[in-house]
Amino acid sequence: MNMLRLLPWLTASLLATGASGRAADCGCAAARSAPAAVSDRSVYQLDAAWTTDGGRPFKLGELRGRPVVLAMFFTSCGYACPRIVEAMKEIRQSLPPVARDRARFVLVSFDDERDTVAALQAYREVHELDAQSWILVRGEPGQVRELAAVLGVSYKKNALGQFSHSNLITILNGEGEIVHQRAGLGGGLAEAARALIASAH
Amino acid sequence: MSDRTNILNRWRWLGLAAAGLLLAVGSAAADPPPGMALIAAGTYTPVVRDQDDAASVAVAAFWLDARPVTNGEFLAFVRVLPRWRRSQVPPLFADGQYLTHWAGDLDPGPQAPLDAPVVRVSWFAARAYAAWAGKRLPTTAEWERAAGAGFHGADGKAEPGFAAQVLGWFAAPTPAVFPAAGSGRPNFYGVRDLLDLVWEWVDDFNSAMVTGDSRGAGGNGLFCGGAAASARDPADYAAFMRAGYRSSLRANYAVANLGFRCARDAAAN
Repeated sequence: MNMLRLLPWLTASLLATGASGRAADCGCAAARSAPAAVSDRSVYQLDAAWTTDGGRPFKLGELRGRPVVLAMFFTSCGYACPRIVEAMKEIRQSLPPVARDRARFVLVSFDDERDTVAALQAYREVHELDAQSWILVRGEPGQVRELAAVLGVSYKKNALGQFSHSNLITILNGEGEIVHQRAGLGGGLAEAARALIASAH
Repeated sequence: MSDRTNILNRWRWLGLAAAGLLLAVGSAAADPPPGMALIAAGTYTPVVRDQDDAASVAVAAFWLDARPVTNGEFLAFVRVLPRWRRSQVPPLFADGQYLTHWAGDLDPGPQAPLDAPVVRVSWFAARAYAAWAGKRLPTTAEWERAAGAGFHGADGKAEPGFAAQVLGWFAAPTPAVFPAAGSGRPNFYGVRDLLDLVWEWVDDFNSAMVTGDSRGAGGNGLFCGGAAASARDPADYAAFMRAGYRSSLRANYAVANLGFRCARDAAAN
């Protein structure tokens, strides 16, 4: 195991452990707060723990301080999701090197049944998503519903186990605040990149 | 490898905890939870669906609050959890309309009688209340199944005048001050006020009328046009209105005629 790759995660986990003692008496993630300084518009107020394609626990708040490009998807999606991932790659390619290195590209799965850690791993390989920039996570239905609600993503599972969903790419600033959303499957990538660059300053 | 072992251990503990919880719920299920009515297992037929959606969805038996959550009950909640008081709730979780009709953080006041349904609460707040109460929000399928019942049977549409009565409420203006929750006529399951007091949040409100834009090139129908074309039965106009209403919401919206009630799983005996 490459320890260097683990370092940022370890640091973030240690920080998160310090804050997690303050769990509220309510079972919902929305009522628990991240470290006190987080902005009241920050998505990082959601405290739910996700699981990465590396099988590690992950909280969105670990991305604090970085610009983030985030989308919800599912690995067996044959049409829209690959286009969303391609769009995120295009955004990444259009960034100046410093911003490109700092930014993280996060894919959160709708599909708690089929998108196992192994399925996410396979998706990473097929779509050639590099280990440093891309974070693929899965979670339980309640936390998926909650994140979708915060982002304004609608989704619904059909009888075939596929999902209808909004096609939305969200740009978060370092505080985890939504600074831009690109809706649909065509165009809008330059605007998304500009929003990311602006938020990184 | 040690990461993986840790996670496996964690899941094992979670499994044990879940089993304990099931046992606890199982023993409690013998008595009906106070203020809740049992909705028998059955099916729900969505009014709007894509070609790949099931014609009907199985709904397991569940408990549903017999009336919407009141201002008095919500007051008890915000007393315990200051984070959900009007002056403290983060804008991510509730917009500027949140509880604006209350006189103060801990004072519902004359516009919000304690026995009236609480409104101007966001989905996040409703969900947090439900978790605090040891319950959850009902799903769309559950809510619609309960609301589909008439006064005499599980199928309201079979009862003369039922649809007209439901539609009549849509035409009525929102009162400045709501009457007491629970004063409506109980339906077949003993649940009141589902169709004639306030709109109500459901847990998966953000699943309504998603255009089929994710799986095939043919799914990019316009929102209204596409949805109307796939509605199944004009007699379900009220349910169609509710689907449209839900699709217009964002989770942090606080709306003058939108409240909620809670549900709970009915454990298998």
